[in-house]
Amino acid sequence: MTVYESDLPGVGKKHEIELGDGSRLVVVTHNTGKREVFRRPDAEADSEKLFELPDQLARQVGTILEGAYFQPVRTGDIETLLGGDTLIEWVDVPDDSPLAGTTLGDADLRQETGANVIVVQRGDVTITNPGGDTEIRAGDTLLAVGPRDACRTFQSLVTDE
Amino acid sequence: MVEFSLLELGELFVVVAIAGAVGARLGLSVIPLYVVGGTLASPFVAGRLGMPYVETGEALTLLAELGIVLLLFFLGLEFSLDRLLAARTNITRSGLIDISINLPIGVVIGLALGWSLVEALLLGGIVYISSSAIITKSLIDLGWIANAESEPILGTLVFEDLVIAVYLAVVTSLVIGGDGIGQVAQSLAVAFGFLGALLVAVQYGTRFFTDVLDVDAPEPFVLRTLGVLVPIAGFALSLGVSEAVAAFFIGMGFSTTEHRERIERRLLGIRDVFAAVFFFWIGVNTDPRLVVAVAVPLAITVVVTTPTKIVSGYYGGRVYDLPPKRSLRVGLGMVSRGEFSLVIAALAAGGTGRVMTEIIPAFAVGYVLVMSTLGTVLMGESDRLERLVFSQGTAEQVADG
Repeated sequence: MTVYESDLPGVGKKHEIELGDGSRLVVVTHNTGKREVFRRPDAEADSEKLFELPDQLARQVGTILEGAYFQPVRTGDIETLLGGDTLIEWVDVPDDSPLAGTTLGDADLRQETGANVIVVQRGDVTITNPGGDTEIRAGDTLLAVGPRDACRTFQSLVTDE
Repeated sequence: MVEFSLLELGELFVVVAIAGAVGARLGLSVIPLYVVGGTLASPFVAGRLGMPYVETGEALTLLAELGIVLLLFFLGLEFSLDRLLAARTNITRSGLIDISINLPIGVVIGLALGWSLVEALLLGGIVYISSSAIITKSLIDLGWIANAESEPILGTLVFEDLVIAVYLAVVTSLVIGGDGIGQVAQSLAVAFGFLGALLVAVQYGTRFFTDVLDVDAPEPFVLRTLGVLVPIAGFALSLGVSEAVAAFFIGMGFSTTEHRERIERRLLGIRDVFAAVFFFWIGVNTDPRLVVAVAVPLAITVVVTTPTKIVSGYYGGRVYDLPPKRSLRVGLGMVSRGEFSLVIAALAAGGTGRVMTEIIPAFAVGYVLVMSTLGTVLMGESDRLERLVFSQGTAEQVADG
């Protein structure tokens, strides 16, 4: 697969992706953040517009295409690859979690799993950089960062699966 | 004379808002419609009909000037020397073809009308410079933006943008400079001295431009940008140097900082407001009877300068190795003239003599109305035109003929 990038002065950038059957996918990223996606059946033909997305939606769709929202091998959580082997993982704390009611310090997750909790999301409240005395409650969402394996261990520890 | 009032400003915004809505409904470019709106609301039309009209005064002229400054500032912001250098062979070749055909044609027409060299040079600029705003919007609307023809079109526009900066600097000095060779030489020297100093400041001032905008809150961010832009542009004008070119250079200065995208996001609305005021102001100053009076030279200019743009665009496309059909599209895509032709007309209006103060502005308005509409129509009908042209013979015959 080859991706061609070119500048569109005053508009933004254009990426053309070879699809392997002679056609190309053309993505025009406007300076405003809007993405327009076209398909060009062959070199001679005009590009046919498929759809357009605003910036935020384009990123979300991109994440889905990337496989971060849903990966066929696993379900139930969200992860984002930071690069290399490092993930950010969102894990919901279920009602029957063995960790519900303990503090981060007691659970000692970093020691146990190698993953580090960087945010605790509780309803509308976001606790960033939670300390050891932060309580883990059922219904919280924990954001953990760490190597892929550590995140797996972390997840099974929290959900007790 | 009644001083420009808040009520008149209100009328202005009602008119451009309606013009914008009409443009969106009819699929037309808003620039000529703002101009038409201005003319309809002017003393020449609304005034004669006994309706409330907008009198042009110092206040409105000042707001329109701000529109020119912001238009050129954004152009500079988008303009990247690196980008120009990266694609310099193709852009330079297609740009040179464009200018070497279209600028002289305008000058020749001006001279044939019995105008002075400076007046003819103004006409040359008006017919040379294509409209970045209208053409870019059409490219997006028609989906050509994803096709190969968008690159030579946008590349040639970039070349034109650079030329217009130099051109405005020279022509402003010629118009304001006065009659004697000595006076003109002096004002040229001042212009290039000031702009040269500004360019050096911009080139080595990335640090300054970065630091001055290093603030998170939106309000001080916008105010600081204007606080750099407007005083420098105003100072340029007070020296008799083109405020538009100064604004272009300041835009280039900001374009090298990490703030570029944020400026574009935050100031786009302000630019659109004052650009609309500028186009409206052009319309208010236009007596339709004057446009009618120049109808014959106008018609001749349209008939001559439409094919010249198509031909220069065609060869511009060939420079980019496009097939003949797409090259023809490049030509059709370059036909629209718009905002910069009007900037040149506004510049002429500041000169002396009937040709500069009355005829050229009226001519430019008529010309932009016709060429922006014609250009948009030609792009929309390109499929039919391609069939028409290429069913007759081979591409080479078209190129030769």
